[in-house]
Amino acid sequence: MKFLTTNFVRCAVKSCAASSDSFPLVFSECQLVQQEQDFDAEFLTSMLDRLDWPALIKVAADLGNNSIPQVKPENIDPEDPESERILRDLHSLLLETQITEGKMICNHCQHVYYIKNSVANFLLPPHLAN
Amino acid sequence: MLETPIIPSADYSKVYEPAEDSYLLLDLFEQIRCELSSKRYAHSVPLVVEIGTGSGVVTAFLNKNILPKALYLATDVNPHSCVIAARTNSHNATSYNMDVIRCDLTSPLLTEKVDILIFNPPYVPAEKVPEIPKDDKDPRWLDLALDGGPTGMDITQRVLDSLHTILALKGEAYILFCARNQPDKVVEDFKKKSPGKWDVTMEIRRKAGWEMLSVYKFVRLCE
Ligand SMILES: C[S@@+](CC[C@H](N)C(=O)[O-])C[C@H]1O[C@@H](n2cnc3c(N)ncnc32)[C@H](O)[C@@H]1O
Ligand SMILES: [Zn+2]
Repeated sequence: MKFLTTNFVRCAVKSCAASSDSFPLVFSECQLVQQEQDFDAEFLTSMLDRLDWPALIKVAADLGNNSIPQVKPENIDPEDPESERILRDLHSLLLETQITEGKMICNHCQHVYYIKNSVANFLLPPHLAN
Repeated sequence: MLETPIIPSADYSKVYEPAEDSYLLLDLFEQIRCELSSKRYAHSVPLVVEIGTGSGVVTAFLNKNILPKALYLATDVNPHSCVIAARTNSHNATSYNMDVIRCDLTSPLLTEKVDILIFNPPYVPAEKVPEIPKDDKDPRWLDLALDGGPTGMDITQRVLDSLHTILALKGEAYILFCARNQPDKVVEDFKKKSPGKWDVTMEIRRKAGWEMLSVYKFVRLCE
């Protein structure tokens, strides 16, 4: 699972949907691999709009990265070298960081989901299924 | 004619092989390509979600030919599909903007985020929807691709019932039916439940063997 995807998923248990504790999930014991991807500055810039920044900071911290700026970068101009540096960092974090193994835990119900061979599994056992 | 994606070395005893239903979706997206690519989305990068991606052929086709600047998330319950779909995508299109997760329908997705939803469901009438096999080596994963309960609507109906929580405002869903699903009646019931909130149209229809397949578009209107 790509780091970016952590910004779009919460606990799959229906009764957790309404709780703000079900997003983002808590990431633990994760193994990461950097996977080279094409850099697309325009895509990243417009992607920024979609991101939940506090969730991004939280998950990055779970994975040992505490260097994310506290506020979402604004007025990004891909031509400007400082902006390009920010975009390159985001590219490497969001799109190139692959979580290959690990656990995702819901802070509301404590259910543990697993990532194995890069695939995150959100299937629920029958007693929790919706 | 746009190119059909190549699927590198899939084992079709474990993953649904692209068939007439898959190609009907590809043909539809080719037809409406200009409309889709000129559209303004609520967010500048549209989030495209395909439920039950199987071989990943539909997502790869869209990413390669129709909306290369979208963000793609594909789902499947079948663990083999999750691996193959990612591979199909990266073999044919850019992979920085695509990911696959294993889940039931869209259950872990944040609500009201999806701009375009695509689903070629298990639509074949069958006594019941098969249970999810317990381990990856089970030979019955493929049964989940087709069997949709007594009228073939069990799975699709679950998606329709939660469509308003899946789609963003102005979001649209492309869902495939066969004639035995009685799509006209399904759509009528759907619209009755929330009058004025949806625009539903049949986009394409084709005979495939003795099945009549069709794809309907469900657009969530602004409140
Ligand atoms: C008819 S196949 C379509 C495959 C592919 N999208 C295509 O068009 O060739 C249906 C797919 O839905 C998946 N599926 C069945 N039930 C599901 C569920 N509850 N959640 C997610 N995927 C499901 C099956 O594993 C299968 O891959
Ligand atoms: Zn939970």
